[in-house]
Amino acid sequence: MIWVLAFAIGAMVAAGVYLVLARDLLRVVIGVSLIGAAANLSMFVAGRVGTMNPPVVPLGETLLAADAANPLPQALVLTAIVIGMALTFFSLVLVLAISQETANNDSEKLREAEPPPAANGQPVLEDATTSEHPDPRALQEVR
Amino acid sequence: MNTDKPSRLVALALVPFALFALALMVYLTAELPVRIHLPWIPSLGIEASLHIDGWALQFILLITGIGGFVLVYAAGYLAGDPKRKRVFVLLLAFMAAMLGSVSADNLIVLFVFWELTGLTSFLLVGTKHEDATARASARQALVVTGGGGLVMLAGLILLGQVAGTYSISELIASGPNWINHELVPLALVCIFIGAFSKSAQFPFHFWLPNAMSAPTPVSAYLHSATMVKLGIYLLGRLHPAFDELLLWQVSLITVGVVTSVLAMLLTLSERDLKRILAWSTVAALGTLVMLIGQPGDGAVMATSAFLLAHALYKAPLFFVAGNVDYAAGTRNIDHLSRLVRVMPLSAVAALLAAISMAGMPLSFGFVAKDLIEIAKHDGQIFAWASYASMFVSAMSVAVAAVAAIRVFWQHNGNASTEGVHEGSPLLWLPPLMVAGLGIVLGLVPHLIGPLIGAAAESMRPALQYEELRILLNGHVLVSLVTASVIGLAFFIAWDQLHKLLERGRELERFSPSAWYDLLMRAIPAAANWLTPRLQHGSLVGYAAMLLGAVVVAVVPALVIWNRQWPAFDPPSLAVVGVSLLLVVAAIAACRVRDSFVLLLTSGLVGFGSALLFLFLGAPDLALTQFAVEVAFVVVIAAILLRVRRLDLEPAPVHNTKARTVVAVAVGTVIAALVLAATAGLFDPVLTQYFAERAVPDAHGRNVVNVVLVDFRAVDTLGEIAVVGASFIATIPLLLLVRARLAKSRRKNP
Repeated sequence: MIWVLAFAIGAMVAAGVYLVLARDLLRVVIGVSLIGAAANLSMFVAGRVGTMNPPVVPLGETLLAADAANPLPQALVLTAIVIGMALTFFSLVLVLAISQETANNDSEKLREAEPPPAANGQPVLEDATTSEHPDPRALQEVR
Repeated sequence: MNTDKPSRLVALALVPFALFALALMVYLTAELPVRIHLPWIPSLGIEASLHIDGWALQFILLITGIGGFVLVYAAGYLAGDPKRKRVFVLLLAFMAAMLGSVSADNLIVLFVFWELTGLTSFLLVGTKHEDATARASARQALVVTGGGGLVMLAGLILLGQVAGTYSISELIASGPNWINHELVPLALVCIFIGAFSKSAQFPFHFWLPNAMSAPTPVSAYLHSATMVKLGIYLLGRLHPAFDELLLWQVSLITVGVVTSVLAMLLTLSERDLKRILAWSTVAALGTLVMLIGQPGDGAVMATSAFLLAHALYKAPLFFVAGNVDYAAGTRNIDHLSRLVRVMPLSAVAALLAAISMAGMPLSFGFVAKDLIEIAKHDGQIFAWASYASMFVSAMSVAVAAVAAIRVFWQHNGNASTEGVHEGSPLLWLPPLMVAGLGIVLGLVPHLIGPLIGAAAESMRPALQYEELRILLNGHVLVSLVTASVIGLAFFIAWDQLHKLLERGRELERFSPSAWYDLLMRAIPAAANWLTPRLQHGSLVGYAAMLLGAVVVAVVPALVIWNRQWPAFDPPSLAVVGVSLLLVVAAIAACRVRDSFVLLLTSGLVGFGSALLFLFLGAPDLALTQFAVEVAFVVVIAAILLRVRRLDLEPAPVHNTKARTVVAVAVGTVIAALVLAATAGLFDPVLTQYFAERAVPDAHGRNVVNVVLVDFRAVDTLGEIAVVGASFIATIPLLLLVRARLAKSRRKNP
C-alpha cells in the first residue's frame, strides 16, 4: 500500500516541480498547489495508513477503537489544507494583478526588483534623478 | 584647535581612579580569589560570575590606574577637539569591556567582553575617520583581532565541551582529567590564534603599528598598556592547566621569540616615533608570550613583573611622543632636535621611562629584568631563546635612547625648535607621574612584591610566594652591561642600520601584511564573481537552485543513514485506482497547453487526493478537500477569464528536458523520503493520548474535530487568523485590478 502511495506522491511532486519551473506565472501557482497537496498526503501517510475506519468513538464507548485511523495527522493535514487554499487564492490574485499591471505573465521578464546586469557585467544602479528617494546631497542643494 | 584650555572632561578620570582605589582596597582587605556568582543563561551553563584572583587583580589595577592617567592626559590632548566627547565615551566603554574580560569566570562571557574591546578599539582607532589611512587601520585592527577572536570562540567552545564546564576556575581545577583528550591540541591552536591576533604576535603582528593612527591617548591606553595585553591575560589565565604541555611550551616560546626579534628588527625601519614605540611594544608582548611558555616558578614571576614594568614605561613614552607631536607638529625623528630646551618636563618624563625601559638599576624595569635573569639562571629558559632575549634587551636600550636622548638631547641640523613649547600640566603631569612610579617601585620593590607574587601564584598554583628577591650577582650584571653596550652601539648606528634595512624593502611582498592586503582585495573580487551567479534575478533559476539543494542534501542522508525500507503489502483496489488517477492527472497537468484544461487536470489531482483520504479513513479531510477544490475551480475560472481578457502572449515553454530531470529527481527523493519515514517504528504516544482523552476531557466523539477545536484550539484560531489575513491582503490587489480595468475601458470603449 505504502509503495503505491509513495509513487503517487512522488508523481505529484514531480508534476508540481515541473510546473514551478515554468515561466508562466499561472503554472507556477498551480505547481505550488500540487506540491502542497503532495505534502499533505505525505504527512497523512507518515501517521501510518491501512484502515478505512474513521477516528470516531462509537456511541456508548469512551475509547477509540484500536483499528480506527490515526486522528493526529488528520487534524494537522486539515489545518494545512485550509492554509494551502488561502495561499493559492492569494497567489492567484497576485498573479492576476501582476499580469494586469505589467501586461506580462512571464516570470523571466519580471525584473523590477533585480534588473539584469549592464553590458559590462556590473549591476545597474537606480538613477538618482528618477528615484523615489532622491540623493540627500541633491536635497540639501535645493534647500 | 590647539587651545591650551583643558577640557572639563578631566573630571571623568575620577571614575577609573575610584575603581582603582576600590580594587586596591579589595586586594588589601579581602582574601583572593574573590568570587561573585551571577547566573545569566543557566540552561546553557553560562554564568556571568566574577572570579578575581591575583592575575586578574593586577590587570584591574593596570586598567584603572593607567586608565585614570590616560583620561587626564586625553583631557589635555584633546582640548578643543570637537570629537573629544566621543573619545571619552569610547574610552570609558572600552575600560568597562576590559574590566569585564579580566574578571569574567566564564569562557563565553570572557569572549563577549573580549570582542567588545575589539569593537570599541575599532571606533577609537578610527577616530580621525575623515582620513582614509585611519579608516584602513581601524578596519585592519578589527578584521585581524575580530577574526582571531572568532577562531578563539571555536577553541573556547571545544575546550568547554572537552572539559565539561565553561567556568574557567572549574576548568583549571579539573585540568588533569581532560588534558590528554585528543581535541585539546585543536582547541589550543584555535585559542592561540585568538590570543596571538589580539596581542599582535607573529604572523598577526602588523596591525599594531598601523593602529598608531589613533589619537595618542588611545595608543597609550589600548596599544601599550591594556588591550594588546588581553591575549597575554588569557594565556596567563590558562597557564595552570596547560603549562606542562609540550605544545603549549613550544608554541609560545617559538612565537614569542620570533615576534620579539622580528619586531625589534622592524623598529629600525621606522622614522615615526610612535611607530618605533609600537614595534617595541610588539617585541615586549613577544617577550611576555615567551615567558608564559616557560615552565617553572621564575618565569611566572618575571611575566607578572615585566607586564607591570612595561605598562609603567611604555604609557609615559607614548604620552611624551604625543606631547612632541602636539607641540612640534611632527613625530618624525629626523625633524626633532634638542627638545629639552623647550619641553624640559616631558624630557624628564621620557628619561625616567627610558631608564626603566632600558632596565637600568634603581628602576622597576631593572627588577623585571632581574627576575627574567633569575629565571634564565635557574636554567628554566631555553638557550636559544636566551640569545634572542639578549638581542631584544639590547634593542630596548636603543629604542629607549631614541625616544629620550635622540629626541630631547641630541642636536639635529635639520630641525628647529622655534615656537615649540610645553603644553598644559594635563599633558606633562601624567607621563611624569607614571614614569616616576616606575622609578619609585624600582627603589622599593618589596611594596609591590606581594601583588606580583599573587599574580604569579594564580598563574602557577604550585608557587609559594615569600618575597621579591633582587639578586645582584655576576650573571645579572654581565647581561646588563652587555645589553647596554650592544644597545648603545645600535643607538649610534641607528641611521646606518635603517638604511641597511631599507634595502630589504622588497621582502615586504612576502610579509603577512601583504597577505592581508591580498585577502582584502580577494574577498570583494570573489564576491563580485559569485554574487551575479547566485543572485541572477531569474525566478526559475532560484526555484531550480532551491529544489536542487533539496536533492543534494537529502540523497546522501538517505544513502548513509537509511537502513530500512517498508515491506510490500498488497494494496486495496480503490487505492491503486485512485493513485493511478493521480499519476495520470499529474502527467497531464505538465503536458496540456490550454489554461482551462490545466485547471481541470489540477482540479483532478485535488479530487484524487480527496478520494484517497476517503478510502484511508479520513472523511473529514475528504470533505474539506472536496470543498476546497470546488472553491478553487470557481476562483481560478473567474481569474482565468480576467487574464484571458488581458490578451497576453503566452509565456514561452522552455527547457523541457532540464525541467523534467529536476522534477523527476525531486519527485523520486520525496517518494523515497516517504518510504524511509514510514519504514521505521511508529511512536503511538500522542495518538493514544487523544484516543483516550477525547471523550472524557472534551466530550466529543469525532477525535479529529476534538483535536482541532479543543486540544489545539489556539492553533486553529491562528490558522483562522492566517486565512483571514490572506483574504484581507487580496482586497487591495482586487481593488487595483478593478481600477485598472475601469481605466482601460474608458480608454478603449
